[in-house]
Amino acid sequence: MLSVLIWLPVVGALLVGLWPGACAARLRSIALAFATAGVLWSAWLLRQFDPTQPGMQFVEFIPWIAPVGLHYSLGADGLSLPLMALNSLLIWIAIYSNAYSGERPGLYYGLLLLAGGGMAGAFAAQNLLLFFLFYELELLPFYLLIFLWGCSDKRGYAAMKFLIYTAVSGFLILGAFLGLVLLDGSSSFAYGEQSTAALPLITQLILLTMLLIGFGIKIPLVPLHTWLPDAYCEASPPVAILLGGVLAKLGAYGLLRFGLGLFPETWALVAPGLATIGAVTAVYGALSAIAQRDIKRMVAYSSIGHMGYILLAAAAATPLSLLGAMLQMVSHGLILAILFHLVGVVEAKVGTRDLDVLNGLMNPIRGLPMVSALLVLGGMASAGIPGLVGFVAEFLVLQGSFAAFPVQTILCVVCSGLTAVYFVILLNRTCFGRLDNATAYYPPVRWIERTPALILAGIILVLGIQPDWLSRWSEATAQAMVTPIQSAASQLKKPLPSLRAAATSFSPN
Amino acid sequence: MPDIVDIAVGAGAFKTLVTAVQVAGLVDTLKSPGPFTVFAPNDDAFAKLPPGTIPTLVQNPPQLARILCFHVVPGRYTQADLAKVGSLDSVEGAPIPFYCEDGVFEVKNATVLAADIEADNGIIHVLDRVILMG
Amino acid sequence: MTTATTTAAPSYRGVLPPSQHEFAEVIHRLEAGGAMLPDSPENLMQIIGIYKAYAVPMDFYWRDLLYMAEQVFLEPLPFFKYFPTQEYLDRHNHYAGDTADLRIWRGPATAHPELLAFMAKGETGKMPKLLHHLWHDRINMEFAEECMRAMLWHQGMGGRFNDYLDSDEYRENANRAIRAYFKGNPAMLALHKLFPEMFLEQCRQASYLANLGLFWEVMAPVFFEMSDLFDEGNLRTVPEAMNFLVNGIFAIAGRPIYHHVYIRGECYEVIPKSKGFTWLYEAALPYVEAVFYRTSPFRGTKSYNAQARQVPEDQKDFHYGILYADVFPVGTAGIPPTLLMQDMYHFLPPYLVEYYSRHCKGKDDMLIQLGITFQRSMYCVTSAVIQALRTALLYPLDDPNPRHLQANRAFFEMQLDRFKRPEARLRNIQNQDYR
Repeated sequence: MLSVLIWLPVVGALLVGLWPGACAARLRSIALAFATAGVLWSAWLLRQFDPTQPGMQFVEFIPWIAPVGLHYSLGADGLSLPLMALNSLLIWIAIYSNAYSGERPGLYYGLLLLAGGGMAGAFAAQNLLLFFLFYELELLPFYLLIFLWGCSDKRGYAAMKFLIYTAVSGFLILGAFLGLVLLDGSSSFAYGEQSTAALPLITQLILLTMLLIGFGIKIPLVPLHTWLPDAYCEASPPVAILLGGVLAKLGAYGLLRFGLGLFPETWALVAPGLATIGAVTAVYGALSAIAQRDIKRMVAYSSIGHMGYILLAAAAATPLSLLGAMLQMVSHGLILAILFHLVGVVEAKVGTRDLDVLNGLMNPIRGLPMVSALLVLGGMASAGIPGLVGFVAEFLVLQGSFAAFPVQTILCVVCSGLTAVYFVILLNRTCFGRLDNATAYYPPVRWIERTPALILAGIILVLGIQPDWLSRWSEATAQAMVTPIQSAASQLKKPLPSLRAAATSFSPN
Repeated sequence: MPDIVDIAVGAGAFKTLVTAVQVAGLVDTLKSPGPFTVFAPNDDAFAKLPPGTIPTLVQNPPQLARILCFHVVPGRYTQADLAKVGSLDSVEGAPIPFYCEDGVFEVKNATVLAADIEADNGIIHVLDRVILMG
Repeated sequence: MTTATTTAAPSYRGVLPPSQHEFAEVIHRLEAGGAMLPDSPENLMQIIGIYKAYAVPMDFYWRDLLYMAEQVFLEPLPFFKYFPTQEYLDRHNHYAGDTADLRIWRGPATAHPELLAFMAKGETGKMPKLLHHLWHDRINMEFAEECMRAMLWHQGMGGRFNDYLDSDEYRENANRAIRAYFKGNPAMLALHKLFPEMFLEQCRQASYLANLGLFWEVMAPVFFEMSDLFDEGNLRTVPEAMNFLVNGIFAIAGRPIYHHVYIRGECYEVIPKSKGFTWLYEAALPYVEAVFYRTSPFRGTKSYNAQARQVPEDQKDFHYGILYADVFPVGTAGIPPTLLMQDMYHFLPPYLVEYYSRHCKGKDDMLIQLGITFQRSMYCVTSAVIQALRTALLYPLDDPNPRHLQANRAFFEMQLDRFKRPEARLRNIQNQDYR
C-alpha cells in the first residue's frame, strides 16, 4: 500500500520523461494526474490509519538482498505518515503551480515526480539501508532541478554546493548505520532491531554525532546551513517548495527516527547541547532573515530559524514537545510552501525580489492583491499568529520544551517575536506603500498561480482552527517514542508535560 | 463740451461699446458729472473676442456692467497722470496696470490708440482690446 | 529672421531665445498654440472619449447640485438629496437644445438618454431607485460634493464669490431664507437664534452647490458637443480640442452665477444675479484651482502626517488635485475621485473600451486606465484655461512685440512652475506608456 506512494510517481516520472515528442501542456497533465493520484492515495491511507496504534502500520516486507541485510521493508507511523501526505501534496502543488514554458518539460516533470517518489520511499523505509538508498536517490533529481532550471547564473554553484553538502550528509549517515549494525552485532538493518544499550557510551556518542551532523546538514542546523540560502534561492519556486517543504523535513525526520529512536540513553546526554544548537539556529535564522534585502532569501533564512524549533523539541523529548516537533514539520512545510510559491509569483510578475524595489502590491487593481493578501496570511502563520497552523505547532514545541530547557525555550520565544519583525518588514515593503507609477504594469495573476496558494492557505487556516485534525495522527507515536527516553531521563524527576496536562492547564478553571 | 457718452456715440467707432453701455444701464452713470477716466475699446477690439462672448454678456446686463466697469476709473487722468501712478483701481474693484514708456502707452494688455480725449465729465482713452480682470 | 524648421513655427523663433525652463518643450508647445498634452491621435481619442464619459454623469451632477442648492437646501436629514425630482431631470440646460441661451450642444436640453437609461437599470437591473441607491449602483454624487467642499474650503482663489459670502448683504439674504425655510419649526428657529452661524455656514455650502451646479451645466454640453464633433471627424487634433474649450470658456464667461432657493414655491435670492458674478471669475477659475490643483489629501491614497509636515502649511500649496493625483491607488481607494471613475466607467464610448482592453490588465484595471486618461484630459482642459487666461490677460501668440511675447513666456513659465513638484503628472503624460 505504501509502495503505491513510492512507485506511482516513479512510474509517472518514467512515463513523462520518455513520452515521445509531447507538448509541455500534455506532459503537465500527465504528471499532474500521477500527482493527484498520489494525493488521493495519501488521503486514503490517512483514512485507513489507526491513530491509536503507536506502532508501524501498512507494513510491507519483501526479502531482497538478504546477505547484506537489505530488504524492501516499508511501514508508516504517526511520525512518517503526515510527512508522506505532506510530500504528496507539495509534489502536486509543485507540478500544478508551474505552467512550464522552458525546455525539456518531460525531464522537468519527470524529475519532480522522481524526487517525490524518493522522498516517500525515505519516509516509508523500515530498513536502514533502504532508507539510505532512497535518501541518496532523491539527491540526483534535486541536483538536476537546481542545476538545469535554476534562477540565475549562480545555479551551477548552488547546485554543486547542495550536492557536496548532502552527499557528505549521506556518507555520515551511512557510516553511522554501518557502524551501529556492525558494532552491536545485530546484523540486521531493520528498524528497531538494533540495541545501542550494550555499546560503550563513547561509541554511542560518536555514532550519534555522525548522525546528528549528517541530518544536521539536511535540516540544516547552524553552522551546517551555508548551502541552504543559495540552493533555495537558485531553485525555481516549485523546487524551492519541495526543498524547504519536504527535503528539510527528511533531516528532521531522520533526527527523530534514528537519533532519538536508536540512542535513547545517549540522547539525554546530548540533549542540552542540541537544545542550545536549536536555539542558536532559531536566533541565527531570524536575525539573518531580518538583514536580508531579497525576499526569497528572507524566507530561506526564516526556514532555518523555524527548523531550530524542531531540534529544540526533539532535544526536550517530552510527549508534548515531540508532538510539537511533528506538527511543526508539517506546519512549516505548508507555510514554507505557500511563502515560496507566493514569492515566486511576485518575482514572476514584478521581476524582482528586492525589498527596496518592491512596493504597494496590495493595490487592488494594479498590484497583486490576492497574492499580497495570501502573503500576509503566510507571514502571519509563520510568525505563529493564533488561529493558524504555525501557532499550534510552535506553541506545543515551546510548551513542551520549557520544563526541560527554559533558557533555550525562551530564546525561541524571542525568535517567534523576531519572525514577526521580519515578516512585518517584508509585508510592509512588499505589500503596502505606494505602487510605483513608472514600473507597475504587472501582468495579471492567473488562477493557475493562485490556486496552490489558496489550497495551502485553506489547509493552514483549517488546521489552525482545528489542530486536532493534525495532531491526532501523531499523538500515540509521540508518546511511544518518549517511553525509552523517559526511563533514561528519569533523573530529571519532573512530571513531563503532556498534551492532556497542557489542555487542562488551559481550561477556564 | 459733450459728455463721455456723446463723444462715444459721435465718434462712430464705438457702436458695440455704446450698445453694451445701454444694455448694462450705465448711460446715466456715464452722463453724470463724474469725473471718470474711461478706457474705451473700439469695435475692432470687441471683434477680437472669441464668438459668443458678447451675446452671452448682452443677455446678462449685471455681468456685462461689471466688465464695463473694469474699463472705468473714477477721476480724471491724462496719459501723463497714468504714467506716474502705474496702476489704479477700477470702478469694478480690480486694479488696472499701465505701461508708459518710449512713446508706448498700454493699459493692461491693450494698447492705447488715442489718448486724452477730453469730455465734459471725464477723459477717454481708446483701446485696441477689451481688457479683463485678473 | 531665421528659417522655421517646423510647420507650426513657435512664436519665440527669431524673436525670443529658447526657454530654459525645465518644461521648455511644453512651453514652446504652448507658445505655438498647443496644449500641455502632446498632440497625437491616441491622446485625442482618449481625451474626447473620456469627456463624453464624464459629461453623462456630469449631466446628473449639475441637475442634482442645483436640486440640492435650491430645494433640499437646509434639510437636517437629507436622505433623499441624491434623488432629484423629475422637474430637475427635465430642466432645460441653458446651453443645449432648442431653448438654449447659446446653443453649444446640438442635442436635447433635458437629461441625457444614456443617463436616464443607467438610472433606470444600473449595473444590477431594474429595481426601485432606493435599492439602486443603497447598493451604490448609481451616479455617485459624493464626488460632486467633494468638489464643492474643496471650493468652499480653499477660498481665496480669485473672484468675488467667497468675499460675498462673508458680507452683511449675504448674511441678510441668507437669514431671510433660513427663517422662511424653518417657518413653523420653533425648534430649528430657536437653534438658529442660539447659533446664528450654524445654518449660515450650511447656507454658504448650498451657495457653493449652486455655484458648482451652474458651472457644470455649461461643461456637460461642451463635452457632449466635442464628442459629437470628434465622431463626425470635425475635431482632428489636440490643439483643436483645446481651442474649442478656449472658445467655450469665452463664450460663456459672462454666464451669471447665483443662488436662488425655492421655499414653498417662493424664490429667495440668496445670491441674486444682479451681483454680477460671472461663470469665468466666480466659478470656473476657482473650480480649476480648487479641484484640479489643490483639493485635499485623501485618505486611502497615501499616509499623510501633518505633524511631520507632509501636508503643506499653506492651503495655496496644496497639490492633491487630478493634475497631481497618483491614479494607481486613487482608482481603488473608495474616495470620491474613485467614485467619479466608477461613474465614468458606465458611459465609456466603445472605442475607449476596446482601447483599454488592449492594454495593461484589460478589463480588470479599466478604472485606473480611464483614470489616467481622465488625468490627460484634465491637462488638456487646464491648457485651455491657461490659453484662455493668456488670451484674456496677455497677448496673442503671434504678437510682433518681443516684450509682449516675453510676457506670454513668463506667464507660461509661471503656470508650469506649479508642475515642477515631483507629484505632478505633467512629465508622465508626455509619454504614451503612462496608462
